[in-house]
Amino acid sequence: MKRKIGWAVITILVLVYALFPVLSILMNSFKSSGDFTEGGQFLPRTWSTENYQMIFFGDAKDLFLPALRNSLGITLIATVIAVVLATLCAYAVARLDFPGKRIVLGAALAISIFPVISIVTPLFNLWRQIGLYDTWLGLIIPYLSLTLPISIYTLSAFFQQIPWELEQAAQVDGATPFQAFRKVIVPLALPGVFTTAIIAFFIAWNDFVYGISLTSTSAARPVPAALAFFTGASQFEEPAGAISAAAIIVTIPVVIIVMLFQRQIVSGLTQGAVKG
Amino acid sequence: MSTAAQPREASGSGSSATTGGAVQKRNQPRPRRTERARAEARLGWLLAGPAFVLMLLVTIYPILQAAFDSLFSYRLTAPQDRAFVGLGNYGVVFTDPVFWADFGVTLLITVITVAVELVLGFALALVMNSAIKGLKGLLRTAILVPYGIITVVSAFAWFYAFDINTGYVNSWIGQPNLDWFGSGPTALVVIMASEIWKTTPFISLLLLSGLAQVPSELTEAAKVDGATWWERMSRVILPNMKAAIMVAVLFRALDAFRIFDNIFIMTNGAYGTETLSLLAYRTSIGRLEVGMGSAVSVVLFLLVILIAVIAIKGFKVDLAGGGKR
Amino acid sequence: MSHSKRMRRWLAAGVAVATAGLLAACSATNTGPPTLTWYINPDDGGQVDIAAKCTQASGGTYRIQTSLLPRDAASQREQLARRLAAGDSSLDIMSLDPPYVPELAEPGFLAPVPQTVIDQRTTDVVDGARKGAQWNGKYVVIPFWANTQLLWYRKSVVEKAGLDMSKPVTWDQIMNVARQTGTHLGVQGIRGESMTVWVNALMESQGQSIVIGNASSADQTQFGLDSPQGVKAAEIIGTIGREGLGGPGLTTQDENQSMSTFQGAKGSFMVNWPFVWPATQSAKPELISDIGWTTYPRVDANTESAPPLGGIMLGVGAKSKHTDLAFEAVTCITSPENQAHYFVTNGNPPASKAAYDDPQVAQKFPMAPVIRTSLDNAKPRPQTPYYNEVSTGLQQRWTPVQTVTDQTPAQTQQFLMQVLRGERLL
Repeated sequence: MKRKIGWAVITILVLVYALFPVLSILMNSFKSSGDFTEGGQFLPRTWSTENYQMIFFGDAKDLFLPALRNSLGITLIATVIAVVLATLCAYAVARLDFPGKRIVLGAALAISIFPVISIVTPLFNLWRQIGLYDTWLGLIIPYLSLTLPISIYTLSAFFQQIPWELEQAAQVDGATPFQAFRKVIVPLALPGVFTTAIIAFFIAWNDFVYGISLTSTSAARPVPAALAFFTGASQFEEPAGAISAAAIIVTIPVVIIVMLFQRQIVSGLTQGAVKG
Repeated sequence: MSTAAQPREASGSGSSATTGGAVQKRNQPRPRRTERARAEARLGWLLAGPAFVLMLLVTIYPILQAAFDSLFSYRLTAPQDRAFVGLGNYGVVFTDPVFWADFGVTLLITVITVAVELVLGFALALVMNSAIKGLKGLLRTAILVPYGIITVVSAFAWFYAFDINTGYVNSWIGQPNLDWFGSGPTALVVIMASEIWKTTPFISLLLLSGLAQVPSELTEAAKVDGATWWERMSRVILPNMKAAIMVAVLFRALDAFRIFDNIFIMTNGAYGTETLSLLAYRTSIGRLEVGMGSAVSVVLFLLVILIAVIAIKGFKVDLAGGGKR
Repeated sequence: MSHSKRMRRWLAAGVAVATAGLLAACSATNTGPPTLTWYINPDDGGQVDIAAKCTQASGGTYRIQTSLLPRDAASQREQLARRLAAGDSSLDIMSLDPPYVPELAEPGFLAPVPQTVIDQRTTDVVDGARKGAQWNGKYVVIPFWANTQLLWYRKSVVEKAGLDMSKPVTWDQIMNVARQTGTHLGVQGIRGESMTVWVNALMESQGQSIVIGNASSADQTQFGLDSPQGVKAAEIIGTIGREGLGGPGLTTQDENQSMSTFQGAKGSFMVNWPFVWPATQSAKPELISDIGWTTYPRVDANTESAPPLGGIMLGVGAKSKHTDLAFEAVTCITSPENQAHYFVTNGNPPASKAAYDDPQVAQKFPMAPVIRTSLDNAKPRPQTPYYNEVSTGLQQRWTPVQTVTDQTPAQTQQFLMQVLRGERLL
């Protein structure tokens, strides 16, 4: 009994820790602008959907909707390309013996600790010259440099755990190489690829520095960067409510993915070490 | 910002590698590379090449360009005044109190956040490790929300909660006149809280995997021998997790050292909350002083490398080997 | 390796995806009239309306498409300057904050204004804005609207303190009222552009400038901060900070938050732009009858004050493919009718004097005559290509306001000179 109460308390503590800031901004998103002046409070005084109306149908529509489309499009494309390239690379690392293998991994490691700020100005100039500034591709490429290293590491670990001899066994049993690959290897590799995709998505989705530096219009500006463009009735007003509403919208995909795939994400982030 | 990279046991060493062909090949004498070995090398680079080249292009070229630019006095809006100054910009950077103040703030944030995250993350890892089946999923889902949330969103959430005008925290603690973002120490508390909240889940998952590595026979044996919880923790579990802890600390430290988003949103570096990333951004993009800004960028880059090298050489953190002992 | 073929196929697929992305990024053809892109600062939708209006008025000669800039002026400049420096041809028309005009004009990033446009659109303009539109004696931009600050006050507080508001008041007087009545002054103490606005107004109200003359090179820039006038400005700001006359949130208080302070229970005086009038009407209509206004407070009782000058200037990018059409569009945008309409709908005061004669203006903004006189007396912020450095350096040294002492002006001047010489980081 005591144990049960203890676990209940711990669970509540963890839930409060993890969800309170999200709840806080969720409450903000339902406040009307008057609720933000003269000493705020946690709950809205009157529940209002004006902020959501503003970003979907009102003044901020032309700012938020293109940004949401850009964020989704750019992040998804970057994720797909990163996973495809990382799959090829990780396969080579896990299965093949070739000179320079350690260099590939070393480079991935070095790039994962690279300060983005240090390279964003030269990248801006280069993008201007070759016409990638303020385009989807102009963000997709830097996002690949953010997502590829971790994708390669995660996938190499997954691939190393796949019992590849099963494939040969299947071939011995009369399957063609392609059948063996499709029926045996793909099902084993797919969870790893999928998990990698989720982690890569989170990283690209989170970007801010590239978003504010390499875009200038709604042609490519992602949501985190667009939040700095929100404005109220005057140029001096930072509309806390509308920003909160937009923040909640971009948090929804994260929450859905986390709820559906928590097991996969945790294994993706930890499995390599566990199996060691 | 948080380019959450994480360690992997498998790939680097190649020792635990694989099956068939690869193993046999390694046993063959080096000089006589067979046709097959060449084909394999070719295929290896063909597969790994695109990712490798792409990663390098987007990072190596710009950092070299930054290193080159840092040797000039060059303002974007006065291109005709561009002049070679050698290492002059670095001289200014290293003798300027602003740089050292920002370096101090960056270091302070790094040390405090990583220390707190280590303790908090370990507690969370223990909870997740010993939770009963039904709770495990719920706890993990909750913990992953901060991990997946956008840093800028987290920054706004914490900012609006503490801000003297929009926030409710002041009325909760009965300090209606406390202007959190009006002075450095209080602003840093909120900035670090936001950073800790967002990144503790990552560290705790790494520690969770480290926990799972501790041989259960050891802890059982210690239990049988009558060791207390604390003795088991300090004598058995923690020593066995040392490698995982070091990796987690290093990755988080490098990440925290590059902190930008939170501060940019909350104070934009005002009142002694500026970090090196912000200084680099403000100099090269805000002031358009490409030369000086590049010098700051290069210094930031070198410092990150330096920390990594010290950790890897000094503390023998095996990044490629991950949590593996 | 048995997988090599399959892997090559995967690789080919990957390359195909990447190429498709590349192709999609290019292309897109254009028909119809040339499109002019107008980079606008965030407002209440007025510039978008005017763009549509002028597109229609052009009868198919051009089409204006708007593109939004960030909220704060420094970020707006950051983005425009970087792209102009890179020779971006898509910057046709730009809404510019006046202090940043010299930085963009000096290296020739702005297209020269044709004489016909100058004749049409600058003769009728308030003095302050006319000064702000020139660099090195030449018009480089066209005033679109002009902003200035008034002294707003709560009638009830003033009555209680017995201050006569029919005559110009001084900073010392309003600080005294705040002390006596235990109320808060709505001033901007945040580390931001508004701090430069404040310091500049205090200096100019004494006939002194932060930057003297308009040297275009860094090492010839002369400063006037280290002066008795600078010390007096520091005394006012420092005293308000140390005595808490600006309220508890002063160090992070911007224009919008000082309005909240003013609207709150402890509001008394506020120096702020006219946007506060429509904003208060919609947020706190019950307060309207208690609000009065007059010209910006004086520093010296016998010297007329020099209110801050803000607003938006329209510039045309030198690399624009349609500079002639862009100036045609600028002429349309800045017509007195459009300016009057913009004032009424968005609360941003006209630069054109004629626009103030619009009956709608007088009806919606009873303080319009005060705004117009203030604009004639208003003085621009330092006109220098290094404005960003000057302003940022000033903000760093003059915030938090409670730390401002009589040493601050001299130290700031020293610091700014070192920064401009490239000897210090900022």
